[in-house]
Amino acid sequence: MALLQMEEWYDLARETNWTPRYVPEDELYPLPMSNDFGIPVEKWESFDEPYKVTYRDYVQSQRDKDIGAYSVKAALARSDFFRKASPHWKALLALHFSAVCWAEFHSASAFARMTRFSRSPGMRNMATFGTLDEIRHGQIQIYFAYEFLKHDAVFDWCHKSSKTENWIIISLRHALDDIAHTRDATSAAIMLNMGLEQAFTNLQFVALSADAAKCGDHTFATMLQSIQTDEARHAQIGEPMVRIMVENGRKKEAQQMVEIAFWRMWKQFSALSGIGMDYYTPLEHRESSLKDFMEEWVIGQFGRTVEALGLDLPWYWDILKHDISTFHHANQIGVYVYRATEWWRPIAGTSPEEREWLEEKYPGWNATYGKCWDTIADNIRHGNYDKTVPVAPPLICNMCGLEVTGTAGENWQPVNHHVDIDDRRYHFCSEPCKWIFELEPERYKGHKSIIDRVFDGTIGPEPDDFYEYMGQSPAERGVDGYDYQWIDGYDDLSSDGLKRAVG
Amino acid sequence: MTAKLRGMKTWSKLAKNRRRPSEYEIVTTNLQTRNRHRDQAYELSPAPDLAMNDWYRKHVFDSPLQHDDWEEFRDPDSLIYRVYTRSQDGQEEYIDGLLNEHNLIGHDGDLPPEWLDTLEKLYTPRRYLQTTLQMGAAYLLQIAPASTITACGGFQEGDEFRWLQRIVYRTRELQIAHPDRGFGTRERDHWENEPAWQGLRELMERALVAYDWGESFVAINLVAKVAADETLRELASTARRFRDPLLASLADNQLQDCDRSRRWSAGLVKFCTDAKEENKAVIRDWIDQWTPLARTAITAYCAALPESEHSAESVIARMQAYHRSLET
Repeated sequence: MALLQMEEWYDLARETNWTPRYVPEDELYPLPMSNDFGIPVEKWESFDEPYKVTYRDYVQSQRDKDIGAYSVKAALARSDFFRKASPHWKALLALHFSAVCWAEFHSASAFARMTRFSRSPGMRNMATFGTLDEIRHGQIQIYFAYEFLKHDAVFDWCHKSSKTENWIIISLRHALDDIAHTRDATSAAIMLNMGLEQAFTNLQFVALSADAAKCGDHTFATMLQSIQTDEARHAQIGEPMVRIMVENGRKKEAQQMVEIAFWRMWKQFSALSGIGMDYYTPLEHRESSLKDFMEEWVIGQFGRTVEALGLDLPWYWDILKHDISTFHHANQIGVYVYRATEWWRPIAGTSPEEREWLEEKYPGWNATYGKCWDTIADNIRHGNYDKTVPVAPPLICNMCGLEVTGTAGENWQPVNHHVDIDDRRYHFCSEPCKWIFELEPERYKGHKSIIDRVFDGTIGPEPDDFYEYMGQSPAERGVDGYDYQWIDGYDDLSSDGLKRAVG
Repeated sequence: MTAKLRGMKTWSKLAKNRRRPSEYEIVTTNLQTRNRHRDQAYELSPAPDLAMNDWYRKHVFDSPLQHDDWEEFRDPDSLIYRVYTRSQDGQEEYIDGLLNEHNLIGHDGDLPPEWLDTLEKLYTPRRYLQTTLQMGAAYLLQIAPASTITACGGFQEGDEFRWLQRIVYRTRELQIAHPDRGFGTRERDHWENEPAWQGLRELMERALVAYDWGESFVAINLVAKVAADETLRELASTARRFRDPLLASLADNQLQDCDRSRRWSAGLVKFCTDAKEENKAVIRDWIDQWTPLARTAITAYCAALPESEHSAESVIARMQAYHRSLET
């Protein structure tokens, strides 16, 4: 073969900046789309992606990946896996696919903003692959989810959820729109790639993939691994951007971007992946707990990455270390008791055996969150199902859109994080959520949480109004995934035996 | 152990069509979130408090180009990612073969000096033109009000980048064969200063700042890109006369990608004008507004092509033929 090696021509494809003559530069790169942070263009031109790939190699490797992923799916479509899967796993699949299909597809636009409005030619090119990758991730996941639709109508939400006003979707949209879709190209590159992809996609795709393989869901496992190989490549856009910022006197800004984005994504992953890992994954197939995973992959690895780039660990690192053992447990209670507000069939995940695991992984779980589950279980055992559903609406955080919670039991130390602006009180689940709001109140103060919408009349007063507003017909309101039969395990135990089992 | 599950035949949003949806429709429709609320495209403070919500309201919701349900748009090619990469991998394999064969026979060493002058001035600087087209497609896909339009824009952006890199590849080959010339070093200078380029450069710079999403679509996809791509066709014709079959073959392949852009662009025009009669005038006015700049650009570029009398007229005629084919 007489073909040039990539190294012989690759750099020239990154020499594509020119000086505009017919339109002013600030019109070609305007706010709010573009921001060079006062750093000279030649510094931005030094952007050097650690992982280099050509278009030619990209289409070849992506084609091969798709052949692999889709052929595994074709083989397993006949295996009747879904029909035999436990309600645990079905709940996890429904939650995963309903949240990620549109979210990933939407990310194509964030990468396109980097391509159009970045001053770094190398990043423009890498972001083009990012755009294509995200189209892939939206399409492959929704195609896989579609397979389940003929068995189970809850999967319709993989397609319809993007446009609904369901509270979980609002929460996710708020976070993603904040870090990726309403920021200039530089900020979006750092916030999306560092705060989300580099920090957390391992959690969603590697950890979940390991659990899926153990469950025998090889289609899902293969697809997740395949996606992660793309994420690992395009997530690298973030690091050179941070480096350029730090080297040119913009460490403070870069630090803040990473801190905002990481915290916002932590809250989403805590609620969605945390519940998925610690409650929805069948006990016998659990690889590690959310806390294990966070300590190793995020607090450990991501923390080292941040420091290696010349940034500091986020100021709230100690709060995070506490949060990885608490927030998702509290939110799992909320997700279960307000189950009618969700489109899938939530799982309690607190049978006696599961409680043993939770106690082992989170010492003190039984004395805290377990106490709430004692009451829920007791009500179910006595047929008082209505008492498992709270009458009062929850307090929703005006930043993350998730429930404001505390630690149940003796560690109950509620703190009311709030801010008052223009006669309105904004509530927050945590100090970092409040901190983010106070950095830029104009950005957030006009948004209303789902509960704000109830009280201001956006949502009508009748009980059905709430569900209709969220796009949920009576058949689309979540019910216990086991029809409460998970409680049978409690009946087998005497009062003393139960105490031993659950601590 | 649990209640009997209820299944569905297809997504509820597609059920009204009363026919089995294609894989394209299953995986590409209804995935956009930003087209729900005029003041609040993004789930944060509404316009004007959040600049990006203000931008989207102004440039999309309040665009002269209107449709009641953008999500109903369908790409006439029904292109999805896994078909895109499969077909482009095949095309790239073909390009590899072309480059390999021509390199083996010492193609570049035999090119006449007059043609090398042309390549230096009018071909290798096209990587800058490709960058502007890549940026233009990137804007369109991020602002488009439907996921089906975003997908079309994404593949178009990929195509533009494809040819940016292939032009660079050729630039380096030419540089290796003719190190005494300006290949690989003078492209930016040509793009910024050579009179033949200034029309296309002005057209692209101005089209890139047409931020109204409808106008951006018309300015880039219906006018500027057509003009730019047709100048490539003319360059390829000239190449054949100067015994450069490689450039001609590369251009032919690039123009296949351009044809796909024209098909979905024509489809989007039809989608707009079928829905609202007034969209015809909106699109026609924008075409009329952008065409003079395109004509100037084409004329300047073609004037520099050797032995190519009347080539500008041919290019302009082909652009106008495309415009006439649109349902406006």
